[in-house]
Amino acid sequence: MALPPNAPLPLVEPVARLIEAFNQLPSIGPKTASRLTFFLLRADAEVAQQLAAALTDLKEQVRLCKRCFNITVDELCPICTNPSRDQSMICVVEEPLDLLAIERTGAYRGLYHVLHGHIAPLDGIYREQLKIDDLIQRVRTEPITEVILATNPNTEGEATAYLILKDLVPMGVRTTRLARGLPTGGDLEWADSDTLGSALEGRREL
Amino acid sequence: MHVSSLTLRDFRNYARLELDLSPGISLFYGPNAAGKTTLLEALFLLATTRSPRASSDRELLRWDAGGEAGALPFARIASDVHRLSQSLRLEMLIQLRQEEQANDVQLRPQGNVQKLIRINRKPVRAFDLVGQLRVVLFTPADLELVHGAPAQRRRYLDLTLSQLDPHYVRTLAYYNRLLQQRNSLLRAWRERRRPRRAVDDELGYWDAELCKAGGYILAERLQAVAELNSILATLHGDLTGTAEPLVIGYVPRLAYPAELGDLPDAEQLRAALHAALLHCRTDELQRGQTLLGPHRDDLTFAVAGVNLGLYGSRGQQRSVALALKLAEARLMTQRSGDAPVLLLDDLLSELDMHRRRHVLHTIQQPQQQTLLTATDLSDFEPEFLHSITRLRVETAQVFAV
Repeated sequence: MALPPNAPLPLVEPVARLIEAFNQLPSIGPKTASRLTFFLLRADAEVAQQLAAALTDLKEQVRLCKRCFNITVDELCPICTNPSRDQSMICVVEEPLDLLAIERTGAYRGLYHVLHGHIAPLDGIYREQLKIDDLIQRVRTEPITEVILATNPNTEGEATAYLILKDLVPMGVRTTRLARGLPTGGDLEWADSDTLGSALEGRREL
Repeated sequence: MHVSSLTLRDFRNYARLELDLSPGISLFYGPNAAGKTTLLEALFLLATTRSPRASSDRELLRWDAGGEAGALPFARIASDVHRLSQSLRLEMLIQLRQEEQANDVQLRPQGNVQKLIRINRKPVRAFDLVGQLRVVLFTPADLELVHGAPAQRRRYLDLTLSQLDPHYVRTLAYYNRLLQQRNSLLRAWRERRRPRRAVDDELGYWDAELCKAGGYILAERLQAVAELNSILATLHGDLTGTAEPLVIGYVPRLAYPAELGDLPDAEQLRAALHAALLHCRTDELQRGQTLLGPHRDDLTFAVAGVNLGLYGSRGQQRSVALALKLAEARLMTQRSGDAPVLLLDDLLSELDMHRRRHVLHTIQQPQQQTLLTATDLSDFEPEFLHSITRLRVETAQVFAV
């Protein structure tokens, strides 16, 4: 006889507790949680200790940069303290992961500002939950000449960019938006019509 | 267009079904609760991704549907569709979501069921399925269309347009999403969870996008109503044997300027909607919801100037509902050159002789596939029965006669 799906399993407490903890992580269900737990149970003690130490350090040492709200261990992040970065440009992104994506291109040498989310009233996220006012303050006090709005090209990202733009326009700072268009190496014939439409709209002189 | 097959697995009361369908008229008959309507429902789902009757998609799975070893329980619908220019195989898996997955915040489950869709074995999004197979369904419950809530009437137009135009499906979904976001924003102010400052700036984006999508939806609906009216000018009279045309009135909550004429274009309606939204700002902040736009509109149905939704007899209302469905089918044929599959559930039970004859004449056209259900064959003329395919349905099994 199979147990009903929700019946408690006969596990000792430390094992059950770790399974439960893994289960709370995104995209990890009970099966994967059990697999990870039993892997750690069988692995050398060192593996588990390293993982535990990494987790503790993550919460104890990592904080947000005072200036741009990127993740950092010091007061300011490595990008903000790097004197060779162009101090007159700010690229505004939704998440630290977006910042990493832009860094990976190697095509940008200015500063960043991380909003930590996007406007989504349905989820209770309004401008005051984001680092928008801090951005405006930076533009006011730092020698900024251009702000690049690199929020995601979806409804919420556009709504966020719109709101920031509203604040920046009266300040007279040059504001640009990432171009929307076709992926490199892509095929026109397979592009969806919305993307192709914005690529046409955003075409440029040669 | 027509469907040449229908395959079901663990769908409602059907454990397994493999059915070949003729391109003409098929009559499914048998006792109540045998599974006749379920066959029409399955095709409706493939055409629109929604069930016409289930309140929860969980009901669509057979009660003891089992998955293969290790897999979750699922129901499956598949059909071969033949359109003017191409043939397609449409497939829908309706799968029970595992509890752990339902808790995942990123998936935002609607209920506890997910639908996986394939066209020619290639997985696609639900959007992409709508309109591949076009159907018009008429059921006794369609009386609601005439005297029910406005949402039913909007749904009638939306379903018609969605099946005809993929851009309409997408824009409507986008509009509803914008609407939810905008309403949440308004509600937060109304409940004083946020200070009311820079209201116009905060609403600016949502207003602009909502009006763009709303203007398009409105223009499409007005155009469709105009075309339906020219069809109904003769169709309703033929159906009822009177000379009176049925007139659909589109009642927009937005009072757009008269100088725009009868059929303003999307851009004119966008501008009118935007101006009107700004005008009712204070009201919206007080009520905490979006008060204007296609989501608040309604339809009226009048014969000789009398609103039948309010004053029609049950019989008149039934004729109106039927006329609307037949007009919908003709509109689809006019626009696409390809007749939709007609699904007529328990059609004859409440129609008089004249209306019956008219409907049976309508479906006996070449290039018109129709699936009918009935509990009793005695309602039909013997010549009619000889000219069609009869199929007996009994406890979730279908037998050729």
